Amino acid sequence: MEALANLIHGFNIAISPFNLMIAAFGIFLGVIIGVIPGLGGTSGVAILLPLTFTMSTTSAIVFLSCIYWGALFGGAITSILFNIPGEPWSVATMFDGYPMAKQGKAGQALAAAFIPGFFAALVSIILFTFFAPPLAELALKFGPAENFAVLTLAFSTFTGLGGGSAAKTIGSACVGFLLASVGLDIVTGRPRLNFGSITLLSGFSFITASIGLFGVGEILLAAEEALEFKGVQGRIGLKDIWVTIKTLWRNLFTWITGTILGFWIGVMPGTGATPASFMSYGIAKQYSKHPEKFGTGVPEGVIATESAAHAAGIGALLPLITLGIPGSPTAAVILGGLYIWGLQPGPMLFVEQKDFVWGFIASMYIGNVMGVVFCLSMLPVFAAILKTPYAILTPLIILLSAIGAYAVKNTMLDIWLLLVYGVIGYVFKKLKYPLAPLVIALVLGDMTEEALRQSLILSGGSLAIFFTRPIAAGFMILTIFLFLLPAIRPLARRVGRTFKVEEVKKAGGD
Amino acid sequence: MKKAEIICALALLTFAGIGTVEAVRLGFGWGPSGPRAGFFPFWLSLILGACSVLILAKAIRMDPAGETARKPFVSKKSLRPVMAVFLPMVGAVVLIEVTGFYLTSALYLAFFMRWMGRHSWVGSLAASLLFPVAAFLILERWFLIPMPKGMFGEYLPF
Repeated sequence: MEALANLIHGFNIAISPFNLMIAAFGIFLGVIIGVIPGLGGTSGVAILLPLTFTMSTTSAIVFLSCIYWGALFGGAITSILFNIPGEPWSVATMFDGYPMAKQGKAGQALAAAFIPGFFAALVSIILFTFFAPPLAELALKFGPAENFAVLTLAFSTFTGLGGGSAAKTIGSACVGFLLASVGLDIVTGRPRLNFGSITLLSGFSFITASIGLFGVGEILLAAEEALEFKGVQGRIGLKDIWVTIKTLWRNLFTWITGTILGFWIGVMPGTGATPASFMSYGIAKQYSKHPEKFGTGVPEGVIATESAAHAAGIGALLPLITLGIPGSPTAAVILGGLYIWGLQPGPMLFVEQKDFVWGFIASMYIGNVMGVVFCLSMLPVFAAILKTPYAILTPLIILLSAIGAYAVKNTMLDIWLLLVYGVIGYVFKKLKYPLAPLVIALVLGDMTEEALRQSLILSGGSLAIFFTRPIAAGFMILTIFLFLLPAIRPLARRVGRTFKVEEVKKAGGD
Repeated sequence: MKKAEIICALALLTFAGIGTVEAVRLGFGWGPSGPRAGFFPFWLSLILGACSVLILAKAIRMDPAGETARKPFVSKKSLRPVMAVFLPMVGAVVLIEVTGFYLTSALYLAFFMRWMGRHSWVGSLAASLLFPVAAFLILERWFLIPMPKGMFGEYLPF
């Protein structure tokens, strides 16, 4: 019940006029980011991060998280009306959403994305509200050894559940960690890996990396595919909403599975909304009474993917706020924001920054209500954005990316790095190196290194510390299991048949 | 694809090599205050090196007649549109160094809209004036974020 009292306190903060305005603004921008293909949630949040520098910390996280919610809603619009994914997590929404739109049921397809998505988000936020405080309390007991064990667990989920080549996944994370270690050594204060450069002393900014890898890289890929926006007209009438609610009732099982699975995948560090939506689609198809109809325009397909994506988006912020570990690349950018605002992410937030934490949790309720209302009522406005010609959209996104990269440290180097990251992002995507581990390692690098070195100082250099403390040992055993999973997967292939590895890899990102 | 895989793996291997050399210089063993500065980069470089060798080995063993190996990294047809986006991007960054962000954004937008998108002169000019003005107001006035001014930095009062 304490959580409830705190939540009411949070609502008092979140419904201040300024925070409401900033939430609405964030949702609006988020939906636009979601709608525009080639501008994803991760790079979108990173580009807009500098705008929060002049805000209070609570308003800042309300703004960024609302962009995330908006983007989760917006991606479906492009997928359903244009058969182009607005976001990686809405790729699976195309499978049934676009066929529905072509049959003249665009309104129903959109309603089947927004309404179940909204309810999935709502259930996830309730789970979040009651899970977060005990988890934070548990995490307060963590020492450096437990912290390091949790952090390695976060990276092992990439190899265990990410589905790509294990060597490429681990390699990508190592590149991120190495880039993170450039600059001053966090323990001894010695300059390292800067090769005499003074600009590099402050290290590589994760914002530039996430904008470049996800944003600029995506633009180059989009140029190659020469996207053509030939859309289906869509409007949502009251009848569509009614039909959707009835469909949702009939497919309650699909929706519940999607929500629970999505939330769980979201909480698992490193994996976000994209794998969640694919897995949920796979499960819905497998347990359906008419699996052969999937892909021809059945609303269950849309319900399955969107409920999982929204639930995963919320779930991804649970480890972020309680442990200081992001559940998805977009959450990693928000985590980086916390550092910039001068907060120490992790369980101490629940003790020292009650206003911030509960104001943020309350804003999740408000933001998602706003998101579904905006999308249902202003759909034509958002769909019209896709009529913006490619020759305007591309330079605009690049200019906005440059602003976002430069604004963090005010160095030209970051604008040059944007180009380099863009090329790396393009090459990595083509060669199927996952990008998420790189960005998350860049954000978590210092924290991981500090936890490891402190543990070793405590133990006098013995690695046994990670296996003699019960909580750390539990996490470590799970970590080792997940790292070995790619090796033992061929044996367990039958179990993993629902997980469409190939398609997730193709979608990439979050 | 095969060549691209090999080049990429070699690049990662080089990166790991640089990391190892630097970590050895810093010292990766046990110092007076626990692990030395090079400790973390050293082990990461080793892991990265091992990963890139694995990727390299897999790429070399890839059947050259296979579908993935034969597929070009960038097909000739799509090289042009990619370069049409990438080269102006590089040009714009060089221009930001010289003339600052606002003038560059106007020129870049106008160029892209007029020559890539074949939009009308009026539309291109309008957009290329509107964006820098709006960006200037939002960034410098409201959010107090200064953008690079290039060689005009000394002459402009803001």
